Amino acid sequence: MPPGAAHAQPQPEAGPRLAQFYFYLTEGCNCACRHCWLAPKFDPEATRYPTLPVAAFERVIAEALPLGLGRVKLTGGEPLMHPDIGDLLAVVRREDLALTVETNGLRLTEALADAIAGCRQPFVSVSLDGAEAGYHDKVRGVPGAFDLAVAGVRHLVEAGLKPQLILSVMRDNVGQVEPVVRLAEQLGAGSVKFNLIQPTERGVALHEQGDSLTVPELIDLGRWVEGDLAGSTELALHFDYPRAFRSLARLATRGGQGSCGILGILGVLASGQYALCGIGESVPELLFGQVGQVPLAEVWYQHPVLLALRDGLPGKLGGICAECLQKSDCLGSCIAQNYYRAKDLFAPYWFCEEADQLGLFPASRRVPVAAKG
Amino acid sequence: MMAYPLADPLVVLREEFDDWAVLFHPDTGAAVGLNPVGVAIWQRLDGRHTVPGIVTELTETFDGVPGSAVEEVHAFVADLIERGFVGSAQSQPG
Repeated sequence: MPPGAAHAQPQPEAGPRLAQFYFYLTEGCNCACRHCWLAPKFDPEATRYPTLPVAAFERVIAEALPLGLGRVKLTGGEPLMHPDIGDLLAVVRREDLALTVETNGLRLTEALADAIAGCRQPFVSVSLDGAEAGYHDKVRGVPGAFDLAVAGVRHLVEAGLKPQLILSVMRDNVGQVEPVVRLAEQLGAGSVKFNLIQPTERGVALHEQGDSLTVPELIDLGRWVEGDLAGSTELALHFDYPRAFRSLARLATRGGQGSCGILGILGVLASGQYALCGIGESVPELLFGQVGQVPLAEVWYQHPVLLALRDGLPGKLGGICAECLQKSDCLGSCIAQNYYRAKDLFAPYWFCEEADQLGLFPASRRVPVAAKG
Repeated sequence: MMAYPLADPLVVLREEFDDWAVLFHPDTGAAVGLNPVGVAIWQRLDGRHTVPGIVTELTETFDGVPGSAVEEVHAFVADLIERGFVGSAQSQPG
C-alpha cells in the first residue's frame, strides 16, 4: 500500500477507534519544573532512568494501526532526550502517522526540527513560562533553559513549522502572559496556549502554597486573554479553562478545544506499560498491562476501566459536571486529573467544582434542576 | 414558514457577559448558542413581527445588515423551528 494511503481515514474493523497514542518516552526529564503534573525524575543526561525501547514503540504502533491509529504524540518526561529519538521519528514517518510533540525544547536541534517537519501534519508545542530567562529558568529549575528553548523554537520555524508556545500560568509569571505573546510573534510561532496549574503531583504544592492563581483570578485572566489580548494579535490564543467558561464566540470559532479526548486515546509509559495516559505514572490502577505481554486490542476493547468510561461518559459524571450543559463536549475536562483527586472516574473537574462553590459557575451553562433527567 | 413566528414560551434565553446567549429548552434539554444578532431576532419572535419587520428593526440597531438578511433570517427561524425552539404557528399577529 502506498505511503499516505494507508491511514487517510483509519477505521477499526469493529468498536471504538483508537485515534491517537500518547508515548511517554522517558521516565526522566532534563528540567525540574515546579508545577509538573507528572513529576518525572531529574535526569539531564537521560542515562539513569528507563526510556521506551524502539522495539516496543514499533510494536505498539503495529498493534494500534488496525485499531484506527492516525496520530501519535511524543511526550515525556522529555521526548527529545530519548537516546533513539531519531529512530522513533523515522518510524513515525515510515508509517505515515500524524505527529504531535510536546517538548521543553532544550534538545531541539536543527536536525531534529527537520526530522519532525518531515512527518505528516507535525504539531509541536514548546513550553515557555516567560519572555525572559529569569522567569522561565526559575520555573524550569535549570539555568540556561530559556535560551535553549528559544533556539529550539527558531529551529522549528526555520524548518517551516508554526510551533505552539505553552505558558503554565502561576502567580510568579502571570505578568508574562502578554510578553510571551509578543515573543511568540517575533519568533514566528503559530499559537500560544495558557495552561492552568493542575493540582496533581508537584502542582499540589503550588496550589497549597498559593503560588497558583485562584479560580476567580483565572476566570478574569481567561476572559481578558480571549476578549482583549486575542484581538491584539494574529496568533491563535488558547486559554485552557473548561468549556463552560469559554465565551460562545470562542466556542463557535474554536469549538474543538478544551475537552478530554480520553475516549479516543491511550498511553504507554517509558516502562512499557499501557496506561490511561501519563497519569499511570502516579496511579497504578490506571495501568493496563505490559507491551508485548497483553495484546493491545484486548486492552482497548476489553479493559474494565475503558469499558466503564465508554459506558459512563458523559451521563455518569458527578457534581457540577452532571449539571453542565457542555458535559457531552467537555467530558469532565480531564478524567485523569479527576481520578487523581477523588479516585472516581466520574468525579467533577476541580476548577468547575471550586467555581460552583464560589458562585462563579456560569448560570447560562447550567441545566436547571427541574430539567435534569 | 409562519407569517408571525412565535417562540416557544418554555424556552429560556440566558444572556452572557458578552451579549451572546444560550437558548435552553427545559423539556428536551436542548441548547443552542446565539450571537448578538440572533439574540435580537429571538427577542422579536413574539407573534407580532414578520421576518421582514424583524429585519427592518435590525437595520435600525446593527450596522452592515446585508441585502440578503430577509432570506438569512428566514433560514435562522426555520432552523429554530426544526430544533423545537419556535413552535406555535401564527398566521395573524398575536
